[in-house]
Amino acid sequence: MTTPTGATTDGNTSRPGSTSDLADNATTDAPGDPGFRGLSPGQLMWRRFLRDRTGVVSACVVLLFVAVAVFAPLIAMLYGKNPEAHYGQEDVSLLTDSGLPTGPNGGMSGDFWFGLEPGLGRDVMMLLIYGIRTSLIIAVATSLLTTVIGVALGIAAGYLGGKTDYFIGRVIDVLMSFPSQIFLIATMPVVTSLLVNSDEKNPDWLPFVSVTLVLSLLGWMGLARILRGVSLSLREREFIEAAKVTGASPARIIFKEILPNLWTPILVQSTLALPAFVTAEAGLSYLGVGVSEPTPDWGRMIADASGFLRTDVTFLLFPGLAMVLFVLAFNLLGDSVRDAFDPKTNR
Amino acid sequence: MSSRKTRLAAAILVAGALTVTTACSSGHSNSDGSGKSTAGASKAPVKATSISVGTAEDSKGPAAAEPGAKKGGTVNMIDRDDFSHLDPAQIYMNYNAEVSLLFTRQLTGYKTAEDGTQKLVGDLATDTGTTTDGGKTWKFTLKDGVKWQDGSPITSADVKYSIERTYASFIKSGPTYIQSWISGADYRSAYEGPFGGKELDAVQTPDDKTVVITFPEAHTDANFTLAMTGYGIVPKAHDTKEEYDKKPFSSGPYQITEHVTDRSLDLERNPNWDPATDPIRNAYPDKWHMAFGVQAQQSTERFMADNGDDKNTFSFHNQVHTTYIDQVKADEKLKPRTLEGLTPYVDYYYINNSRIKDQKVREALVKAFPHQQTRQLQGGTSYGDYATSYMSPTVLGYESYDAYGILKKPQGDPEAAKALLTEANAVGTTIVYAYNNTPVQQKVTEAIRDALEKAGFKFVPKPLDAKTYYDAIGQVNNEYDLYWGGWGADWPTGYTSLQPVWDGRAIADGASNYAHLNDPEINSAIDAAVKIADPVAQGKAWAAIDKQLQDKAVSIPDVYQRSLSLYGSGLGGVEFDTLAGLQSPLNIYVK
Repeated sequence: MTTPTGATTDGNTSRPGSTSDLADNATTDAPGDPGFRGLSPGQLMWRRFLRDRTGVVSACVVLLFVAVAVFAPLIAMLYGKNPEAHYGQEDVSLLTDSGLPTGPNGGMSGDFWFGLEPGLGRDVMMLLIYGIRTSLIIAVATSLLTTVIGVALGIAAGYLGGKTDYFIGRVIDVLMSFPSQIFLIATMPVVTSLLVNSDEKNPDWLPFVSVTLVLSLLGWMGLARILRGVSLSLREREFIEAAKVTGASPARIIFKEILPNLWTPILVQSTLALPAFVTAEAGLSYLGVGVSEPTPDWGRMIADASGFLRTDVTFLLFPGLAMVLFVLAFNLLGDSVRDAFDPKTNR
Repeated sequence: MSSRKTRLAAAILVAGALTVTTACSSGHSNSDGSGKSTAGASKAPVKATSISVGTAEDSKGPAAAEPGAKKGGTVNMIDRDDFSHLDPAQIYMNYNAEVSLLFTRQLTGYKTAEDGTQKLVGDLATDTGTTTDGGKTWKFTLKDGVKWQDGSPITSADVKYSIERTYASFIKSGPTYIQSWISGADYRSAYEGPFGGKELDAVQTPDDKTVVITFPEAHTDANFTLAMTGYGIVPKAHDTKEEYDKKPFSSGPYQITEHVTDRSLDLERNPNWDPATDPIRNAYPDKWHMAFGVQAQQSTERFMADNGDDKNTFSFHNQVHTTYIDQVKADEKLKPRTLEGLTPYVDYYYINNSRIKDQKVREALVKAFPHQQTRQLQGGTSYGDYATSYMSPTVLGYESYDAYGILKKPQGDPEAAKALLTEANAVGTTIVYAYNNTPVQQKVTEAIRDALEKAGFKFVPKPLDAKTYYDAIGQVNNEYDLYWGGWGADWPTGYTSLQPVWDGRAIADGASNYAHLNDPEINSAIDAAVKIADPVAQGKAWAAIDKQLQDKAVSIPDVYQRSLSLYGSGLGGVEFDTLAGLQSPLNIYVK
């Protein structure tokens, strides 16, 4: 993560109300060293963040999840299993006749640490680890896409004003009034059929792309609205006036003057949006319109497992716990990031 | 019994099924008593049920009494769906037919003996019909004392009228055998139904008690056809046409008091039904209360809990929910009220013969197919017995014949399949597999993919929407190579279990020849078999056709479907009807 305001030439002055804020914090941050001065806002934010224990712990958890996702093939190699093999069907002693694991606790053993999936008999731990990949890829891609759309349209509406603002504002209003869950379910098959002809094999990337597109379509409005408001107020400030007077082009004003001041809401919003997209993606898969077999997916695992609640609760336990931990860590991290950026805001 | 509708409904049900409540997690074991964890080990070969044609003596009432049964009380029934039709002429689906046993009679019907053997007997008729010219002309004589619910006698004119009204334009979903045998495939243009005042000459009524039906061609099993509820009797005087579907006029032991669509159906005794005329029905309870909208998971939980009114409850159609199968089988307390049996349905994986013309490739598919894995995903031994033939063991003439050693290797034989493919120089053949896009079928598809890829095929899965699944695979020019489909015989002879599916001349969009097999040898063998008058000899001919089909590897028979269901502890005489694959209401009594 780059230090947000460090990239600007005049980071200190461009921050609204930053002079007093900076002075306050600089003294409180390092009371034992009165001679210490000249910390950038980025460094300040980093210090505040490190002091937030919850934030650091959740950041570690998030990093762990990311590392597991990145190194999934390596883990699979060390563990000696893969997410596609049907272990329970190859070795008939592992599952009963109707597909339930024969071992206690969902078939947990030294060979299968988290047990076996009822039915196909795949390794639950491998499914979970590769499922993180699915969730993360889709959530990160969606966050990036919605951030780009939200930033572009939000700033455009706020800075340009007038008819552009009116038009974008109404589009946002209309999209926000959509019942999103129903809309997502309805558009998924449409998007899928737009991307691939019905007589072709569905390529492996298809569910990723279509879920990302559908989630992005209804995911950018919140950020755009916030950015519109902030840039609307920034537009009238002296440093923008000054830039205009010195003959800066609108592009320069947007990218060099306004955008650096928006990094805080952008980062806070997108770190908070990411776990929301993880749950939204899982929700779609739970309802059977998201990522389909054989790509491992948490939402689908939970949906499958709910049928075995009474007969094989272990199968539900692991994806459920993993999901809770993942989303909780991301949300807490988002909160901490916001606190660190913007210590004055009240929750 | 239109298998497609019931199976489709089942698929949607499975798709929507979720489980609640919780339990501690312990290991599971196979509960079929073997003690070993050999998932899906092949059981003893399926025993064929015997069906025979009864005599006039067999057709005399009353029905054999159920030991220990007593009269009285109210029996409850819970099911997922309301009966979609009650007008006999509209009835094709098995659970509609099953409830109709209580208030609709046909010329013939099936009587089940204590040992499980079944006989075709005369229901309204004194015997199972007589033919003197090898099946072209059928003569039935009505019994004395058969009456409608208002006490008026059932006459041959009523029988004639009932057949005539199956031609009417509002009759859309019933069977069409008799109509097309009399008037050809386009029977509606030949005769418009009785409402314009015209009569059907092929059905004659020389007197009040005699009906004579004449077909242009011989149909030696027409007396089985007339046992379908679709040819049940409707009174001319009380025919309300479209409205008749809501509240039919009773000829059986019960009459309808109230029918609230999708909620409930209540029946009470029909005082004018005479048990002495009826060899089939034992009418023990005074009343029936049937409620709808109960999902399989819910009904399983209710039957397991067995509380209050649920004690006196059974279910025609709802089976034990898949996730409870192990638990139900392992529970000794549930054993006395668990029904298990073979349904008339056979699951096939149809090979599209118009796309895969090389017999070696088809044989490789049959050899490679993972029956054990797919069955395990759908409930294991309770889902069905591995099938080797196209005819179900419930069909007259069934013979066990395992051309490809499926019973020995139900998990598939990738090596043998690969050898066949190499021989045919077809390694890497693309197989487009179309499936119903439900969670269970996605998993089944995974198992099939795994097996076929091991055997050297290239596998392309194509998910289809559950609602349009049969429409999509029913297209003659569909672009799929392999797809699931079930078939159940409409009556237990080889004709309805083989002809609609494997007769090459029946290929059409939406028709039931899903495999698009058009083999002149099979076609002429079907024609020859239809003409054989002796039911046993005819059964042998159908079994021979079945063997031919297997040798040609025209498709992959998967399982003979089984049913596992529960009922309340307060009921006795609940039996499994193998002809419909449902719980039978005929001998039920309140303990």
